[in-house]
Amino acid sequence: MTTDDKMLEAAFAQARTPDIMPSEAALDRIMMDADSVLAEAAPVASRPKQGFGALILEAIGGWPSFSGLAAATVAGLWIGVSPPAALTDLSAGIWGATIEVPLLESDMFAGLEG
Amino acid sequence: MAPVQSDADLLAAFAGGDRGAALTLTQRLTPRVMGQAYRMLGNRTEAEDVTQDAMMRLWKIAPDWDADRAQVTTWLYRVVANLCTDRLRKSGRGVALDAIEEPADGAQSAADNMQDTARTQALHSALADLPDRQAQAVALRHLEELGNPEIATIMDTNVRTVESLIARGKRALIAKLSGRKEELGYEDDNR
Repeated sequence: MTTDDKMLEAAFAQARTPDIMPSEAALDRIMMDADSVLAEAAPVASRPKQGFGALILEAIGGWPSFSGLAAATVAGLWIGVSPPAALTDLSAGIWGATIEVPLLESDMFAGLEG
Repeated sequence: MAPVQSDADLLAAFAGGDRGAALTLTQRLTPRVMGQAYRMLGNRTEAEDVTQDAMMRLWKIAPDWDADRAQVTTWLYRVVANLCTDRLRKSGRGVALDAIEEPADGAQSAADNMQDTARTQALHSALADLPDRQAQAVALRHLEELGNPEIATIMDTNVRTVESLIARGKRALIAKLSGRKEELGYEDDNR
């Protein structure tokens, strides 16, 4: 071994310190990091599987929104079946006349009578 | 007595949400991780930062860990070596003299302590000036005292390349230190 090699080996030997336990503060930080990684992963891992109906319910805003939507639908249906007189007059005023469009030809059932 | 869980098993348990597994891994792995960083950087604060960074990378990779591909300790050796050379390169220097901690050995004289400190600082400065791969190979061989095949696995290369990196690294270190022999007291060192 040359003198230079001895010098280098002496330098290495001096730097070969034993393993060191990190400080309590550093260990706390490391565990806080682990907790943050667990917290990020938890919502995805623990989220229950939802059915199609539940997904739709969530999309419209949950049960309160569903109740409002149902009430509006019933009200709309009722107005369509039995419109108040004021609404009939209003539509006549806007469109000029009220027309009735028969869904079936009037004589379609003529041959079936008596 | 319960069997000792492997690092990979604990990492899988952590990925499944087991905080206790993270605690066990922290207590088991951090002294060696911190030791490697300290031996390479010569500074406790920086070594703790590297340790925290390396462990954070371990937590993040846990869900994707493939136990058949690598050992946790091998992976950590690589991560710590890379983090240390990154720090040395980015700072563009060796560790400052006043950042090197005094040895705790009370039996040594103050003069010896100063000389030891100067020598350690000189080695870290010289390591910082080496190309990253040379510095990593030399540190893994001569500070961690690992065998060349293990270093080759850590550095994802072959043994011949490791031998070459170490030889070139040591020549460069000798060139840098030999100019300071007298200053560092190597000329008349009989210790």
